[in-house]
Amino acid sequence: MSVAEKGVEQGEVGTRHTGSTATRPRAVSTRLLRSELGLIMGRRRNQMGMLVLAALPVVLAVAVKLTAPNREGHDAGDFLVQATANGLFVPLAALTLEMTLFLPMAIAMLSGDAIAGEANLGTLRYLLTVPVNRTRLLAVKYASLVIGALIGVTIVTVVGAVVGIALFGAGPMLTLSGVQIGVWSAVGRVALVALYCAAGIAALGAVGLFVSTLTEQPMAATVTVMIVTIVSWILLGVNQLAFLHPWLIVDHWMSFSDLFREPPLWSNLLQGLGQDLAYAVVFWLAAWARFTSKDITS
Amino acid sequence: MSFWSTHPKVRWMAPVAAVAVVAVTPYAVSASADSGLPSRTAAQLLADVQRSDVATMSGTIVESANLGLPSLPGIGGSNGSADLTSLVSGSHTLRIWVDGPDRQRLAVVGDRGESDLIRNGTTLWTWSSATKTATKRTIDAGDKKASTPTALPTTPQDAAGEALKAIDPTTTVTTSGTATVAGRAAYELVLTPKTKATRVAQVRIAIDGVKHVPLRVQVYSTQLAKPAFEVGFTAVDFGKPDARQFAFTPAPGTTVKDGNAPTADSPKAPAPTTKPPTKPSTKELADKPTVVGTGWSTVVVAKLPADALAGLTGAAGKAPTDKGSDQSSAQMGAILKLLPKVSGAWGSGHLLSGTLFSAVLTDDGRVAIGAVAPAQLYAALAAR
Repeated sequence: MSVAEKGVEQGEVGTRHTGSTATRPRAVSTRLLRSELGLIMGRRRNQMGMLVLAALPVVLAVAVKLTAPNREGHDAGDFLVQATANGLFVPLAALTLEMTLFLPMAIAMLSGDAIAGEANLGTLRYLLTVPVNRTRLLAVKYASLVIGALIGVTIVTVVGAVVGIALFGAGPMLTLSGVQIGVWSAVGRVALVALYCAAGIAALGAVGLFVSTLTEQPMAATVTVMIVTIVSWILLGVNQLAFLHPWLIVDHWMSFSDLFREPPLWSNLLQGLGQDLAYAVVFWLAAWARFTSKDITS
Repeated sequence: MSFWSTHPKVRWMAPVAAVAVVAVTPYAVSASADSGLPSRTAAQLLADVQRSDVATMSGTIVESANLGLPSLPGIGGSNGSADLTSLVSGSHTLRIWVDGPDRQRLAVVGDRGESDLIRNGTTLWTWSSATKTATKRTIDAGDKKASTPTALPTTPQDAAGEALKAIDPTTTVTTSGTATVAGRAAYELVLTPKTKATRVAQVRIAIDGVKHVPLRVQVYSTQLAKPAFEVGFTAVDFGKPDARQFAFTPAPGTTVKDGNAPTADSPKAPAPTTKPPTKPSTKELADKPTVVGTGWSTVVVAKLPADALAGLTGAAGKAPTDKGSDQSSAQMGAILKLLPKVSGAWGSGHLLSGTLFSAVLTDDGRVAIGAVAPAQLYAALAAR
């Protein structure tokens, strides 16, 4: 499979190559980005990954539907239990679960492929013969990771919402503050949650991009990003290390439940977005420092 | 371009600089605001606070306590807990909305839960997202305010009120210039005990420069460099809150209880007043307690009623859960077993040595508590 895939990918890179040289690129051309996204979406493993992301909310919703009665009061703070009352809780429960492992894994795979994958296949040097400087290439690579993060989170949210509404219906939503908000307000807040989660995953993508410039083994980059994620979650769970928590990328990832207070509590969310931005800037710059100064031999 | 290619390593300055900016930003934000407040003496500030008549405000409060209490699952609770009684340890976020004496809302924010206390006229709602239960009570219009069932002051106002009560000849009151709290310029009032015998090193009260409302109270212990107890606004607004905040309508699908109905499982009415750990209430003490010493180094010695001793209620002194319910006495019993055993000429017992106060429960049922080191408790017990 890998040999065949290499052939396919090299072929695609070749297409992109000629495409870029045939027409002189405009000041801001989306051609490179579109080609990158086409590559990401076209890879069979990424398509399978999207299926896995989509499967979890379906499994969750069906499981809750089958065991629905008499779970109330058991752990009512949990979004999943509330799903029986309102299908819009299904995407929230799915995001809560997938933000811990599946979505970080998805971005870890994409970011591993971004630079290390190309280097491993020997396509990176061809890519660099395109009249595109390395900084712009890195920007495009990161933009495609951000879009990949958005796509992943959107899949989970939309599939969760559709399945949840189909099985449980939608209606006014009970907030953590005990009062209800209207159904459209609830939909809006679920959409904000999706954007917030995408920001966190995109920030992790910057870490992945940096690691990807350090190695020529995409698997090494993927595993490193997963280790960073898992270690962050573990450290976040240790109260004695509270001084460290503001430095962890996952620190406020679960703060999106603050959107379901009335009125929403923004402070933690803004802090979370600030952390995401800080991670994205620092690691993109680190990736830039590494990528623009290293010798590309493969 | 040529510079970059001749000095490729210089590029690493960019991420390093970004890290530096990220690390420095929080400090820069808190230090940037120049107060520009005219100087006030401590006496003027005290008068200002008493005259302040802020009727409307809303804001976010962060409370953190490091009282040196044993960290057990039953006591206090972790940082994310939304239980109203969990405020005695860790760090907690509260949101308040106040519109005059009759309309208030207090929300204790947990990781994925929330407890609310909403007063609108004579109606008092409590809401717990953990149990999805709303409880409605009717209270007397005369009640000054609806207080929460916690052992520690929940708002900077409460805490400042308690601290200002302590101003007497045993306390030195000074100002230490200005501070910035919740983005507002504030004066700082510093209360220092004159005696060295207490574990309270200093109480610092930040008072809003314009509205003269306490914005933050920090209690420093002689044992710690950081405040042992701190409650302060992280965001505050003195505008009139939206009327929506006080209109609680239980949602369908939630349990609604009548808090006035005398059912066995209805929650107890909130404790009448909040109190700091240094001022034990006398309600569960059988004999009139003996007071040894004065001011900050006061030690209160009391004898527990026999049944309370059996259940070990209130064992950890005035600490956290002196509610007297079966559950809390069982909890207290468990905690007591973990406390170190101490003995001396005064007898023997278990010691709770906190950062701001100490307490001893003797085996013969006496309890001594004070904002002092254990040695002074022993002395007070022996003197009796």
